[in-house]
Amino acid sequence: MEYLIHLAILVGIYTILAQSLNLCFGLGGLFNLAHVASYAIGAYTTALLSTEFGLSLWYTFPASIVLGSILALPIAAISSKLTQDYFAIGTLAFSFVIVALLINWKSLTRGVLGIPGIPRPEILGVNFYENSNFLILTVLVATAAQLILALLFQSRFARGLKAQAEYEEAALSLARNTRRIRGISFFISAGYAGLAGSLFAYYINYIDPSSFSLTEMVFVLTIVVVGKPGSFWGVLGATFFLVLLPEPLRFLDISPSILGPMRQLLYAVILYGVVFFNRYKIFPLQRVI
Amino acid sequence: MDEKREQPALTLQELRFAIHHAQILNGVTFDVSRGETVGVIGPNGSGKTTLFNCINGFYLPTAGKVLFQEREITRMPPFQRAELGLGRVFQNFGIFREMTVLENMVTALEGRQPLRTTFFPWAKQNRKNRERALELLGEVQLAEKAHLKAGSLSGGQMRLLEIMRTFAFGAELFLLDEPTAGVSPKMKEDVAELVRKLQNEKKTILIIEHDIRFIEKFCERIIVLDSGRVLLDDTPEKVKESPLLQEIYFGKRSPSSGLV
Ligand SMILES: Nc1ncnc2c1ncn2[C@@H]1O[C@H](COP(=O)(O)OP(=O)(O)OP(=O)(O)O)[C@@H](O)[C@H]1O
Ligand SMILES: [Mg+2]
Repeated sequence: MEYLIHLAILVGIYTILAQSLNLCFGLGGLFNLAHVASYAIGAYTTALLSTEFGLSLWYTFPASIVLGSILALPIAAISSKLTQDYFAIGTLAFSFVIVALLINWKSLTRGVLGIPGIPRPEILGVNFYENSNFLILTVLVATAAQLILALLFQSRFARGLKAQAEYEEAALSLARNTRRIRGISFFISAGYAGLAGSLFAYYINYIDPSSFSLTEMVFVLTIVVVGKPGSFWGVLGATFFLVLLPEPLRFLDISPSILGPMRQLLYAVILYGVVFFNRYKIFPLQRVI
Repeated sequence: MDEKREQPALTLQELRFAIHHAQILNGVTFDVSRGETVGVIGPNGSGKTTLFNCINGFYLPTAGKVLFQEREITRMPPFQRAELGLGRVFQNFGIFREMTVLENMVTALEGRQPLRTTFFPWAKQNRKNRERALELLGEVQLAEKAHLKAGSLSGGQMRLLEIMRTFAFGAELFLLDEPTAGVSPKMKEDVAELVRKLQNEKKTILIIEHDIRFIEKFCERIIVLDSGRVLLDDTPEKVKESPLLQEIYFGKRSPSSGLV
């Protein structure tokens, strides 16, 4: 039972992380590889505020969202200079800078040692010490997050985002301020990642830079690609599918040292397969005048 | 002609444009009055599309001025020009293929509507927009296709959708870049009919076209562009008779090649 609760919490956290990437990458065609950097900022914000200052969830959630979304500024700056593949490389470089900061700014982050002892939150006398309680918190937060995103996906904003992804000049000639639309999508997406990071830190109790590596980014990207970029329900389903997929492996008699690589391999094969069979469909051709 | 018609909708003054040291537009000057339909012809590479891009703001001219309804817009960002009522139909199809036909129309309709009236998906305006979109699609026989991806339409249907979309958007000035390219002969008539509908709505239209017989049907005036210059600016009859037209299209002194 405890194990199922653990999986459910992970699924909840990843739905937030993946669906928000789906907003800017899926709808907007913005290949933002610094998404996990916002996740990291959110996690570290919560970790530091709750361990160093003993602040409650009422402060850590908003702070993680705000600080996570601040990364939208450099990302928007990169997108104003670079587009498409170049933008992806630019954001990748930027996310390496963030990870390097987490590792080397030891006075703040304790480097590779990470931050242990992050206390589980407590609100209005209800505590989330037990995983079963924490699951309720996760479900509430994740559901609210998905509801808001579901509305956003049907909104005029989403249409503008899709329009600029396909044909920027055509979007401009329908009076869409494409630059602003992209900027807002980075903000929303990064804010959500910050929130997911906060939940993650609370749940795991201990964070270090290795949780926010490129591997993690590729995993979230795999979820979006498998779910079909731009599809709300597809990505939601893919989150469940991919987070739970490797779990049955645990019950086979395999040593943990092989299990880890096997999971990676499994994801790699799936990502490869999906990209291979949809190679003309995942990224609609972007047109220019 | 009446008063209103004489007000210029678009004024170009000595417009120049260069890219990578290549001079594409060499001082283009002309006026278009409100409600007028003007054809723009010229050999391939003579700068017709570039001219439109300067008017829409996708390219910034290196010199000269663009005025829309007597207001200078030379350096204004493209989306703001669109808000003022500049519409564009692209040579390489400007519809959003990944969206449904209906979504294309709705995206256009909400383009100039205030954000607060359409922001929430349940806003009343959104339902009105869908109804209006279907009504307009019906006028070009696309209502049954409303829920298909726009990319699945035929070339002619895509053109009709894009022109209708620009109308739905509420453009006052239509820049149509080769609206009959990639359109079957039968559907060319539908495109022509839609252009006439725009004329009835008193829209100002600039239309690039290679087939002079197609545009002479509804243009009072034709501008011939050659090497980024206005070579002729006259009635279709005069333009057709002009020896200069023969020259640029069929050689002799031709600075740029390309046949009709
Ligand atoms: N962004 C650009 N970069 C380089 N050259 C350009 C650019 N835009 C236009 N040109 C050049 O400017 C010239 C005019 O192009 P333009 O597209 O305006 O011609 P056109 O009259 O529309 O031709 P067509 O009838 O083939 O559509 C061409 O030689 C083209 O190569
Ligand atoms: Mg052209």
